[in-house]
Amino acid sequence: MLERVRIQLGDFSVDQELAALRASSRRMGGIATFIGCARDFSEGREVSEISFDAYGSMALAEMHILRNHAIEQFGLLDARIVHRIGVIGAGEQIVFIAAGAEHRAPALQACQWLIDELKQRVPIWKKELTPQGDAWVTPHP
Amino acid sequence: MIRVLFFGPVAERVGARELQLEFKPGMSLQDVVTHIQARHAQAFGLVSFIAVNNAQTKDMQMPLNDRDEIAFMSKFSGG
Repeated sequence: MLERVRIQLGDFSVDQELAALRASSRRMGGIATFIGCARDFSEGREVSEISFDAYGSMALAEMHILRNHAIEQFGLLDARIVHRIGVIGAGEQIVFIAAGAEHRAPALQACQWLIDELKQRVPIWKKELTPQGDAWVTPHP
Repeated sequence: MIRVLFFGPVAERVGARELQLEFKPGMSLQDVVTHIQARHAQAFGLVSFIAVNNAQTKDMQMPLNDRDEIAFMSKFSGG
């Protein structure tokens, strides 16, 4: 069984993640998901791939803290967070977040909160690989 | 030994992902910061966060122990 919080090189299956989330509770009435994908452009430049670096042990620990916090704060029944690292091609999936609750409002709020907090608190860095050269991405809200 | 880690843009400027510093009794986080700042000033300019053993800290007077792990990190850009 796949861990609920993971950092991995390979792609993830949204169907598999959702099936695992739904299997965790039959009280779940609402599931909100976020899937971050690699754009093929950035600030007017073509982007062929994005390379992700991470402080693995700290990133995973922070992701667990975020999940636990979201479950408590929003009363979730379950949540899953998966982030890929390594080189990811344009159009591919980068990050998966799912929040399941009895009702839609806390699921939606938790999902938004999780991706916003992940961007600020989880030590992962991305570099865009373009025909004009490579550039580390400067974070923005 | 103190294990010093660099990631992403900071690692690129340092030209390494890891350095080892000799541990000395009484050493504080400030000692390591001063060392890295002096030898890798350009990379240090990117540093926004410092973590000791996986936990972010701003306490430069934090005493260190042998085999501690210190990470110098720029702003995160995951997701």
